[in-house]
Amino acid sequence: MSGTAAVLADILKYTIVAATPLLFASIGGLFSELAGMLNIALEGLMGIGAFFGMAAAGLTGNVFIGMLAAIGSAVAGSLLMGTVTIKFKANLFITGLAINLLAGGITAVLSQWWYHTKAVVAFTLPPPVPAFPAALSQIPFVGPVLFSHSVLTVSAWLWAIVAAFIIKNSRHGIRIQATGMNAQAVSSLGYSPDRARMAALVWSGVGSGLGGFALGVSVSAFVPNIVSGRGWIALVAIYLGRKKPLWIAASCLLFALSESLSNYIQGFSSIPPLLVLALPYAVTLVSLIASGNKR
Amino acid sequence: MPAERELHSPARVMLAVGVSIALSAVVLALFSKDLGSALEQFFLEPFSNRYFLGNYLADAVPLMIAGLGVLIAFRSKNFNLGGEGQLYASALAAGVLALRLPAGTAPFAVWFLAALTGVLTGAAIGALSGLLKAVRHVSEMISSFLVSAIVINVSDFFITGPLQDPASNFQTTRQLAPKFLLPRILAPSKLDISIGLALVLIVAFMIVDKRTKIGFELKICGENEEFARYCGIPVAAYQIAAMAISGGMYGLAGALLVIGPQGRVMRGFSSGLGWSAISVALLAQGSGAGIVPAALFIAFLGTGSDHIMIGSGIPSEIVSILQAVAMFFITARSLPRIWKKRGQS
Repeated sequence: MSGTAAVLADILKYTIVAATPLLFASIGGLFSELAGMLNIALEGLMGIGAFFGMAAAGLTGNVFIGMLAAIGSAVAGSLLMGTVTIKFKANLFITGLAINLLAGGITAVLSQWWYHTKAVVAFTLPPPVPAFPAALSQIPFVGPVLFSHSVLTVSAWLWAIVAAFIIKNSRHGIRIQATGMNAQAVSSLGYSPDRARMAALVWSGVGSGLGGFALGVSVSAFVPNIVSGRGWIALVAIYLGRKKPLWIAASCLLFALSESLSNYIQGFSSIPPLLVLALPYAVTLVSLIASGNKR
Repeated sequence: MPAERELHSPARVMLAVGVSIALSAVVLALFSKDLGSALEQFFLEPFSNRYFLGNYLADAVPLMIAGLGVLIAFRSKNFNLGGEGQLYASALAAGVLALRLPAGTAPFAVWFLAALTGVLTGAAIGALSGLLKAVRHVSEMISSFLVSAIVINVSDFFITGPLQDPASNFQTTRQLAPKFLLPRILAPSKLDISIGLALVLIVAFMIVDKRTKIGFELKICGENEEFARYCGIPVAAYQIAAMAISGGMYGLAGALLVIGPQGRVMRGFSSGLGWSAISVALLAQGSGAGIVPAALFIAFLGTGSDHIMIGSGIPSEIVSILQAVAMFFITARSLPRIWKKRGQS
């Protein structure tokens, strides 16, 4: 393989890796969005998932247990948010903001308490389990780009497929969608819109928790501000994807490509890294503007 | 019998304040080796002498100004989540201007120009999100956050690159000349005359809010957008203006910090002020006068947390948890029935 092809393969491979947390979180956020709730807490829930997931994985040396802890903690966060919002009739945006603040506070305080540092906490995890047989990853170009990935990365795509199925074909998913379209109609049919809303928030907790965990696993550490805006980027992916799972996945790939490119540019160009770091946000902002519609 | 108990605004504020104070006491009890002295550090030290009191009041000043801006945007249901970037970039713009002005410039001119630069920078950044909302129907929350993320990176770049003070080991701009800093009151604390400006702005807002058509129309835009449009109120203009004012107030808060307590712009300058100002606006419950006690309370949590951090090793991020808990309580409009039952039995 020539040099250029190798570089391109690298960029594309990392694009898929970088898309993993975004895909988990944005498909999770799709549930709450369909139920009529703009969930700005994806960012905080991802942070909670990353911290508790990595802590549990580090403690037990078992990535699967870490994954469960990530889901559990982020779902707990989304239940807290849902309870205050739905049962206590609170403003969704304010509870979402509170979750984001809480996530930053709890992870910093617990990190200091458990690991005696607020800085990077590195964990030794077992090596990632490859999802595909080694032979496939030997295929030139396509192999490293598509078939070198871990089970965790591949499960983000499975998650998207399963979620799409739940949304479109299950009663549960249809009730969530109906709640977003016309909550009154749902309650006149004898179903509880509040229950559908709560369930949608739980799904967004599951997705965000997994997304945060994927971020932690990708660096084998918990880093302060590890999510750094990806929860918001995932939110924009929902809009750019017009609330359709397939297009959301494509949007996640687009944002992941910008992240992958910005990582690559940082190493090889004279553009200052801090400016390059702004690239994914800029791409996201432009997409957000493009996905808006005129009045 | 109603299924739930409605909570009125004063009750919510009391709950939020009470619970966050109780929680901080619990945290202190859990983590500190000497509870008595930790409690004293948290609750009393900020008031214990002129120096601590002045510093504590100085911390409340940017919260009052930025909190007022958030409150004004809330009036029209606009939610500015870009405060961190707006404050940071505006502080940097104001700081750069103050550093470039000739040494002979009258201090008053420096203060005025720096404050103006801060306001205009913040307002421009905020207005962008308002414009996007008005023209493209884009959520102002998401766009203001993203713009802020970009602006923070760009500001970081300038501070660590072209504007870095070569003589300093910190990532910071150069220090302003002492005579360009606002006159201090309660020396040696960092409290300066900007507290007067904060109070004047709050009073001015209360007058505009109660006595003018602008204040009334802003409120209508927030309460019912369609009705406002039907009445011929230029809703789009109010959306843009609300976000611009909110950004401008963050900008002013940032500029006043540069020509006041900070005297320079360090990397990470805004350090959570953008979010704390939202807590202040929420605690104030839409009342201009409420901004003052709300800012004093949030500043108290922050100061108290800084003091325990030094005393007991609890990181100062504990303040984010306290603020989050206060937010939950302030925004909850009712308590479910189970609580009432328990209260009755």
